[in-house]
Amino acid sequence: MGGLGTPSGPVLACGEVRTRLLPTSDAVDERTAERLLRLRTDERVRLSRHPNRYAVSPGLLTGVDCRPPSVNGASSRVVGTVTARAVLVEGRVLQSSAHFSAPASGPDRRRPWGHYLGRPGCLIPVGRLPARSVAEGFLAGPGPHELDVGSIAESLMARVCRHRILDFDLPLTTVNTSLRWTAVPAVEGEATSVLFTKADDGLRTVALRLPHGTAPAAVAGLCEDLALHDWLLTTVAYALDGLPAGHEDSGLPKVLRSLVDHLLHLWMPRGHVDRTLHAVWEELDEHTGYSRQWNVMGQRIRDQLVLRAVRSRHQPSAWD
Amino acid sequence: MNGSESVFRETSFMETSGEPRTEALPFSHLSLELGHVYMDDLVEDPTRLRRHFAAVRPWADAARAGLGTPNSGGRPRVSTCFLIDDYFSRRSTPAELIPPLLEAAAEAGLTIDYLARESACAGPVPGGSRPLADGSSRRGRAEPADWVLRRLVESPPPGTTGFRPPASCTGWLANGRRSPSLRVSPALNSAGTVWQPPGETDARVHSVFLDVELWSGQEEKRSWSCAFLSAVWQLVRLGLLRDDGHAVLAPAPWEDEGFPAAWDALAPVLRLNPRAAPFTAYVTCSVLPARFLPVEHAVRVILDQVHVESEVLGQVAMRCAAEGFGVPSEVVDRISYVFPPGL
Repeated sequence: MGGLGTPSGPVLACGEVRTRLLPTSDAVDERTAERLLRLRTDERVRLSRHPNRYAVSPGLLTGVDCRPPSVNGASSRVVGTVTARAVLVEGRVLQSSAHFSAPASGPDRRRPWGHYLGRPGCLIPVGRLPARSVAEGFLAGPGPHELDVGSIAESLMARVCRHRILDFDLPLTTVNTSLRWTAVPAVEGEATSVLFTKADDGLRTVALRLPHGTAPAAVAGLCEDLALHDWLLTTVAYALDGLPAGHEDSGLPKVLRSLVDHLLHLWMPRGHVDRTLHAVWEELDEHTGYSRQWNVMGQRIRDQLVLRAVRSRHQPSAWD
Repeated sequence: MNGSESVFRETSFMETSGEPRTEALPFSHLSLELGHVYMDDLVEDPTRLRRHFAAVRPWADAARAGLGTPNSGGRPRVSTCFLIDDYFSRRSTPAELIPPLLEAAAEAGLTIDYLARESACAGPVPGGSRPLADGSSRRGRAEPADWVLRRLVESPPPGTTGFRPPASCTGWLANGRRSPSLRVSPALNSAGTVWQPPGETDARVHSVFLDVELWSGQEEKRSWSCAFLSAVWQLVRLGLLRDDGHAVLAPAPWEDEGFPAAWDALAPVLRLNPRAAPFTAYVTCSVLPARFLPVEHAVRVILDQVHVESEVLGQVAMRCAAEGFGVPSEVVDRISYVFPPGL
């Protein structure tokens, strides 16, 4: 199937990304990352070292046949597969990402299953797809008996986390986040847009309007990148929240050390995002000030460390 | 994709992994299976082979004739194969069994181009593991059945949302929704729960529900079912199976006069005829005794739920298009059978 809005392509792509710290005390090396993400024996884990260490599992398909979420209760049915993959960034941050794309209409009855397996990651409607209602419904979350892409991402996350090489001794208190996204093609003359919404419970939603021909997999990659950086900001801000001022007698809080050890080097926006979508990141960054906020927080951590180092000269035991 | 994007992708992914590559294979138009015989049957009745090939011959001719003339002109490429069951029984040796087999086929005017061992579909395959760049081996054993198992994507009965996987039954694969299990005996069933029938997902009004046993035993000593190995065999013949992009069970030439005393001394697939058309083919036809019908129904249920890599399907589609040969888009529609009388 082609890109968004092309004649044979989907009119809608939706997905969900779950992000968490890999539940283990230290970042894992490349070989371990490969073992963790080797979900299938016949396909290898893709590894990248530039611009950062990045490992991607083979894609896993999950078959579904159900009502898609919808805001107005419009009755429709989709059949096909949701594709999911796990991503490990710098051996430290684990993401699971599930998505699908859907064309405007499909056959009036379900076809043999092989028909759907030939279109991996595609949910084909039985009849017409109320695309707008499904996109809004997807961001609002699934109702009972409706398509549940988040559960597919979650079960993949759980599967990776069950690996016995993980010790579950986390160096930091972190939150787990979910980012739900939808993408529709911009109609002619319409500007592309990105609407990012952040809720307190770790849920973020992103509604994208993108150029015709954008590949759904590229959108999923963009949203994984957004989710990673949003998670980094959330986690570091949470760790710094209420950090006591460095009094004369205070030592180096473990949290500062952990942030430096585990997270500060992970900020690498657009590192693995398709070039055609870099502008979306930049537009979002412009409005949210994410990079500026990250730089300020990074500077604050470094300043704290310098300050405490200077003070510790008078109290060497504080470093112990 | 333009050149600059392609260069960007090359540089953005690391040398040891890169994007997966898919090895291309040569293709015949048709892979014609001249039989599949249990070793026990052959040992018990040596005359069986003659009768077998005599019965197969007219149908093999019909299968060839059914191909017509390719758009590209010339004769269609057809390769023949025969599968020996050395997985469930080993009552005979290659030296004892293969020469009379080839002789009986020749008597009926048939040539067996490729001879395959059923155990090869289960693995481990000799030479199946490849050394990595760092000198280590990626795995000790290569098991085609295991790869196919991991590529199964169960057909979801209506109402499957992804919230929890369909009630899957380890080691079994169905073509629909199983009957819900009653947790208590009918005598204790005070709630009066009534039995509910299973349902075939693609049923036309009425169901033909099938639940296929894929394997039995513990994982370390797993015994694959005949149906599952037959599904692997079909995928191998269709050239749709890859191990991390590499071809599997590539035929090895065999030009010796004699055959060894041990099955494991033979390559998984032997090319007995040096002039044979390629082993892998766009479509397959198997001439089998009718008692294989339930097994082959199960093969169709399995193949309908195997996710073949898009790149592999795309390669075959491009080759067929270039030759003007119409191949069905769905894998299960690429296999056909003849169940002749008297076989």
